[in-house]
Amino acid sequence: MSNYRRAGLVLAAAIVLLVPQPASAQVNLVGYWNPLVADEDFIERVPGPNVGDYAGLPITDAARKRANTWDAGLLTLPEHQCKPHPSTYGFRGVGVLRIWEERNPQTQQLVRLKTHIQWQEQERDIWMDGRPEPSELEAHSWQGFSTGRFEGNVLVVRTTHLKAGWIRRNGLPLSDRATMTERFLRHGDLLTHVMILEDPVYLSEPLVKTNGFAVAPTGTMEPYPCRPAVEVPREAGEVPHHGIDDVPPTREFGQRHGIPEEAAAGGAATALPEYMSTLPSLPLAEPKGDPNEGFGPPPVPAGRGGGGRGRGAGAGAGPAAGTGRGR
Amino acid sequence: MPARVFVHPRVALVAATMVAAVVAGVVAAQQAPPQQPNFDAVTVRSFRVQDNVYMLAGAGGNVTVQIGNDGVLVVDTQFAQMAEKLLAEIARLSGNQPIRYVIDTHVHPDHVGGNERFRRAGRAIVAGNVAGDVRGNEGATLIAHETVAARMSRQDGATPPAPAGALPTDTFFGERDEVFFNGEAVRLIHQPAAHTDGDMLVFFRRSDVIATGDVYVNTSYPVIDTARGGTINGIIAGLNRIIDITVPRDKQEGGTMVIPGHGRIADEADVVEYRDMVTIVRDRVQEMMKKGMTLAQIKAAGPTSDYDGRYGATSGFWTTDTFVEAVYRTLGGK
Amino acid sequence: MKTRSAVVAIAALVLTWTAQTAAQFPPRGGGPPPTAKASAPIDLTGVWVSIVNEDWRWRMITAPRGDFPGLPLSPAGREVAMAWDPKTDGSCKAFGAAALLRMPTRVRISWADDSTLKIETDNGQQTRLLHFAAGRRPAAPSLQGDSVAEWQRTLPPNNPFGINFPGGPPPPPGGSLSVVTTNLTGGWLRRNGVPYSARTTVTEYFDRFPGPDGSEWFVVTTQVIDPEYLLGRLVTSSHFRREPDASKWTPKPCKSA
Repeated sequence: MSNYRRAGLVLAAAIVLLVPQPASAQVNLVGYWNPLVADEDFIERVPGPNVGDYAGLPITDAARKRANTWDAGLLTLPEHQCKPHPSTYGFRGVGVLRIWEERNPQTQQLVRLKTHIQWQEQERDIWMDGRPEPSELEAHSWQGFSTGRFEGNVLVVRTTHLKAGWIRRNGLPLSDRATMTERFLRHGDLLTHVMILEDPVYLSEPLVKTNGFAVAPTGTMEPYPCRPAVEVPREAGEVPHHGIDDVPPTREFGQRHGIPEEAAAGGAATALPEYMSTLPSLPLAEPKGDPNEGFGPPPVPAGRGGGGRGRGAGAGAGPAAGTGRGR
Repeated sequence: MPARVFVHPRVALVAATMVAAVVAGVVAAQQAPPQQPNFDAVTVRSFRVQDNVYMLAGAGGNVTVQIGNDGVLVVDTQFAQMAEKLLAEIARLSGNQPIRYVIDTHVHPDHVGGNERFRRAGRAIVAGNVAGDVRGNEGATLIAHETVAARMSRQDGATPPAPAGALPTDTFFGERDEVFFNGEAVRLIHQPAAHTDGDMLVFFRRSDVIATGDVYVNTSYPVIDTARGGTINGIIAGLNRIIDITVPRDKQEGGTMVIPGHGRIADEADVVEYRDMVTIVRDRVQEMMKKGMTLAQIKAAGPTSDYDGRYGATSGFWTTDTFVEAVYRTLGGK
Repeated sequence: MKTRSAVVAIAALVLTWTAQTAAQFPPRGGGPPPTAKASAPIDLTGVWVSIVNEDWRWRMITAPRGDFPGLPLSPAGREVAMAWDPKTDGSCKAFGAAALLRMPTRVRISWADDSTLKIETDNGQQTRLLHFAAGRRPAAPSLQGDSVAEWQRTLPPNNPFGINFPGGPPPPPGGSLSVVTTNLTGGWLRRNGVPYSARTTVTEYFDRFPGPDGSEWFVVTTQVIDPEYLLGRLVTSSHFRREPDASKWTPKPCKSA
């Protein structure tokens, strides 16, 4: 081999290693992801949140009233049965998540990322090509209109044009004026999803939620067809709801779990550590009902040291637990 | 090009529809007429909704336009001052096709104000038969419910009679009428005693789009023109009728698209959300009336407070208070 | 002759690209590598407050014995959890490294020295030291264990193979903090005595992000692996918002065992 030929081969290798690649994602999110629903917020995400549990959420009085008068029977109406989770909630659900790319075949530029979550076939487009938001008069959708960009290794997504949805699927509403910002953070086989929700109608401040996914070892996705049917005979036009003077569900939730009704009613202050100091001073109704609701071992009955259902709110901040019902 | 300005339709509406206080209609008369919008500053925006049906937004109610080889069919004509801009946009979208039909969903000036100009700009054909321009230059065929024609042709409250050229040329007084145009059936469905006594839903059967007039809006609580026969139960019946007609494509989204009287393009799920809200508020007011509460007590109890952030208003033509009062009155409250 | 021309042309291309890349990123000079503190791709220092809107009734209050739905406990872990004595509520065992940042608390993060990041909590009054220095002798087993930290930096876009050429351009801004903690004495994953053993390894990733209202946040993704009390790994993500100052810092001791 001549010297020039050798030099040519070396230079060719250098080009392969050094020539800049087309702009592309710094981190690969493509694949199947299992939601880690057992690890945090299990009750909310799997069987469903308790009616009346708004603790820790920065909701407005209007949201609280909507939730307190919400009747789960609403979901039996045919026109409600096939609603998927909106993108503001779907990533906290139980369904397998699949992420894939669509690229321009000529330039290989990333046009969009697509996501699909199994339950009710929630499918999203995350536009990566810089296209502008549609007009405010265009239709809204469950998944909204999403645009994304990479900041280093982090995918940042902004979503508008959402249909009216829910903050939590126990009646806490989200208006169609809500917007969402997300961050997808990958560390090895873990994906942390950070969601920041804003709603000028039903949230008093941005709501930040974080939850995790892990790479699924096998990629399977089942369809989820849905066809509504009349499940409960009703008068035409009947819309199930509770009266504004009815006992709010926060009371029953509080009784079941030894939580003051005011705490169950939520608000931004209930998410802060100092709220643990407030809890002991709040009235606590006599417990009623099974706190585990069938999702754990039966509670230890009183007389054997109680259930420890105390508001021993962090070290030294409240009455010592273990004293019967913690009062 | 003038800058885009969003003009709240209620501001314009009250200027044109001052309603004297009558036994059943106490709503609008209590509000002073605000200034007219600056029409020169309003731009017409068009949106393709589905197939060959478009929505045009400017000042006043949304305009629906269906375009095809037969010509153009228009639903509602906004204010007279917007006519030239709307016609220019329709001409652009249609490639200068003639307007054959104009349909009025109800009598309010922000929906019929451009009637005369639109009629003059159009060319009628006979009863949907495309055999020829039999009527020559008599203008587009203007269809409305009989009650709309009756109100427009006389003094209607504070509204003077409309000029002859603005009056409907074809009316019907039953439950429905229909036209076959641009390859599809267009059903005109009368919805009694809803927003007014002459409301019409326009359903484009093949394009799968329904224009609702002000029976459905997504910008405010439903406006109930009690002086012109509007009632809360009629609004709710109209919303349920829309829901009966619409069929979602999948997962309660898409499929039949809905063009509201005011606001953004919608589908069944959006109408359901609105219907639920209106029904719940009606039920609450009704429950309070059964308990013997007065109107003042009902207002103080806040039957709408969990929806006010989205639909309510504390000033302007249609406030939360006037809505609650209209619900109360049309449920029989004195 | 053709081969020579091709080689010359290719060399010119490579030189041009190198010059362009060098213009984008200033060349790094010689000398000792920067310290962990000097080379931090993200700033975690300051006072932060946990925002508890997930698992509220297991974090803000002490749940009853036996209330731990969903947790992947082994039979041994379940047995220990069911034997928890509520009189021990408030114990420092709930403030061990595996669950400390899941507690409602304020944290103060600062540099103890150029290669050690310090995390203090007001709730439970705990201190964790995250060591960047290599070759250090691990500390004895303790409630907070021994933590080894590493910066994870953003992968540059024109480095698809992840190869770091000596003297090459520095990576783009941004990154995460990765921490692995071992040498734990065991403690509780939840306030109601759900245990983790001394064989536990905790891996954490700290990421910064801005809020839409100008607020600053970090999220810590915590992976707990305990071959004794957990059937699989336990992964939680807890978020904290930056505080303007330490005016709300309220130290509360935990109950020693």
